[in-house]
Amino acid sequence: MTSMADWPVVPAPVDPGSDDRLFFDNHEWDTIEAATARIIPTDYDPGAREARAVRFIDRYLSGIGYVYAAADGSGFLQMSGRLADAWRARIADLGETYCQGVRELDTIARERFGVDFVSLRESHQDAVLEQLSGSSKPAPVGLTGEDGNPTIQVYAFDDGLTFFDALVAHTRQGFYGDPVYGGNRDRVGWTVIGFPGPESLRDTMDGTYSVREYYVQDYDWRDLIPYLRGAGRS
Amino acid sequence: MEYARKPDPVDVLIVGMGASGGTAAKVLCEAGLKVVGLERGPWLRPREHFSGDEIKFLNRTYLWSDPRVNPRTVRMDQNETAVPTPFSMVPQMVGGGTVHWAGWLPRPRPSDFQMRTLHGDIEGASLADWPISYDDLEPYLSKVEWAFGCAGLDGADKYEPYRSTPYPCPPLPPTRAGKRFYDACKKLGINAMPIPQALVTKPYRGRTPSNWTSFWNGYGDPSGMRSSTLDTFVPEALATGNLELRPESYVREVTVGPDGRACGVVYIDALGREVEQEATLVLLCLGAVESARLMLLSKSRLHPDGLANNSGQVGRNATFHEYLFAVGLFNDEQPLYGFPGNYISGGSFQFYETDYDRGHIGGALIGASNVGQPINWNFPGRPQWGSAGKDADRDFYNHSMKIGHTLHDLPVASNRVDLDPEVKDAWGLPAARITHKAHPNDFRLAKWQVDKNVEILEAAGAWKTIPVYLERGRASGNTCHQHGTVRMGTDPANTVLNEWCQAHDVDNLYVLDGAGFPTATGVNPTLTIMANAWRCADYIAGVHAKGRTERLSQGRSGRAAARTS
Repeated sequence: MTSMADWPVVPAPVDPGSDDRLFFDNHEWDTIEAATARIIPTDYDPGAREARAVRFIDRYLSGIGYVYAAADGSGFLQMSGRLADAWRARIADLGETYCQGVRELDTIARERFGVDFVSLRESHQDAVLEQLSGSSKPAPVGLTGEDGNPTIQVYAFDDGLTFFDALVAHTRQGFYGDPVYGGNRDRVGWTVIGFPGPESLRDTMDGTYSVREYYVQDYDWRDLIPYLRGAGRS
Repeated sequence: MEYARKPDPVDVLIVGMGASGGTAAKVLCEAGLKVVGLERGPWLRPREHFSGDEIKFLNRTYLWSDPRVNPRTVRMDQNETAVPTPFSMVPQMVGGGTVHWAGWLPRPRPSDFQMRTLHGDIEGASLADWPISYDDLEPYLSKVEWAFGCAGLDGADKYEPYRSTPYPCPPLPPTRAGKRFYDACKKLGINAMPIPQALVTKPYRGRTPSNWTSFWNGYGDPSGMRSSTLDTFVPEALATGNLELRPESYVREVTVGPDGRACGVVYIDALGREVEQEATLVLLCLGAVESARLMLLSKSRLHPDGLANNSGQVGRNATFHEYLFAVGLFNDEQPLYGFPGNYISGGSFQFYETDYDRGHIGGALIGASNVGQPINWNFPGRPQWGSAGKDADRDFYNHSMKIGHTLHDLPVASNRVDLDPEVKDAWGLPAARITHKAHPNDFRLAKWQVDKNVEILEAAGAWKTIPVYLERGRASGNTCHQHGTVRMGTDPANTVLNEWCQAHDVDNLYVLDGAGFPTATGVNPTLTIMANAWRCADYIAGVHAKGRTERLSQGRSGRAAARTS
């Protein structure tokens, strides 16, 4: 077993031009691609389809070769030991979740509309996803309305997710994650929300990448904090 | 099981090389003691292993303890069956929680050390005074701030207790969200200040402020700008030549001799071999959950209920600082930005002390922050998918902020860590089982503070505010703060450790992490943990290791309170 600090880097970043299937078969790929495009749709901005979220998910589910990018993005870490065992089991569970999920999408699609999910028009795909998720398609943020999901964790892991929750989580990751994982093609996700992300992971290690200009540049603490001006302070 | 040759005994064995273990190693090694540090996790190299990869650091278990390797179970009371839950998964690695943290470094207040004296008996709670006062800790708070690196603004906090030293570094510039917070506080007459942060903002002791990525909270820092024991105290301890650090070494038991004193530990090394290491002193620094678990796992004829547990108190009075907040969404033209500053900006101690008119005891340090990074930024009710979801990201990612606090939860005897009867970890040993149900005071405190945060967000011009209260009273472990479980105090009948964090029952066993905290305090605990570990390590090196004992006289707490007005 190699110590985690010495896991070798396999120098094989995801080829941004490749759509080779490593995990999904063609039908599964097409189905998941269509589903991700309903999670983050294409409008006047690119969506999950253009970001290649399906490729991100396919690489992730293909084994444990795409779990951790090397810090500088030059490839992926080759895990060993207990963490590798944990990830092998986690990815196997997720793969099963996705394969069952595709079958479920098709089953609902055929029952309600007579064809597979991938052949449905978008509004019908949404209806299938609504049925799968057990609630209606989210409404825009309004001044009133239900506010669910109270707690927030710093971390969000993948264990125990339903297919729908996994699809939503991984579509986001494939849209907004670092391009090294095979999604967020040409950093489109970051452009859509106005996040000036790094050109490369390496740039986040050596000071090249900085968001310093986004802090307030012109300020006086005595103006922001009147107490600093007070004569009475100790 | 394969066995390795037994290594030579050492002066001090430290189990867990995070915040407290790293601090103790530095102090003891610099005092000339021979130390072996055992850490179950890896010894990563910041400049080689850390970068701004949100997926790797926030969504996968590169730093965080993996729940499939180290499962935990959670329940609200003893009638429930605990459910596997990734609860408070502090990184298990050299540096521990000082690797992933945002680096909030606020000082505790004198009142935090005398909750029982100030408030008496509160029904359903197990309030206790600390056996030390703010004055006892103050010199060590300064030592940590200066040895470690801390940015803060002198004189900004109107409610600040006595400090013997100024801040070593000036604060970061305000973020745009932070400026909104300062402006709103000014409008409402609230004293705000930059929250002290464990990083360097100017060249400081060989470190340079070069990580302006804001990949901070949850990430390791590749630059040495943000402070961690991995990047500061551990290298300083190694430089003495007195520390031997053995990573990926999983301690499964503290062994005891026929006299009931600690002999050392048995651990499984990186190659899977069982190793027995003897030492004159054993220091547990695993964090409040894991230190209690290891003590409960270390059963023997003389310690049938777990090590040093004659009182039956090991694991009890656990507190976890649930993070509660209000989110503000803004619809004006001025972006607040969702990235610079990350999790830290302006804050206020104005509501920290008890005001009985609010209907509860205690209070909170409130802090403004941005809402997160692209994948994981979130607010309650954020549309999860479809065009509404995409619009929410586009409209509010750069137009939102939150104000939150870590809940000063009251200790309750039945809130505890023990051993799960069913669930085992990757080594086959029982997982830690968390039983935690919020005290009624916790609900009232959280409600008042969150409502105050809503008021400030409204004054800041928020279009919509979303309060997140302590709704069901179930702790989620979302701050990674852990305290209680191995209380310090003067009475061996109802506490486990004395004022030096030395076990009453086992005089060569110390527990130096947050486990010793009799009450949670209302501030982020790591500065207090490190200062306390330094204080106790000073005692170990200066008194215990020289064959002497000393006791700290009690009943001096009034002076500390008087000094702070």
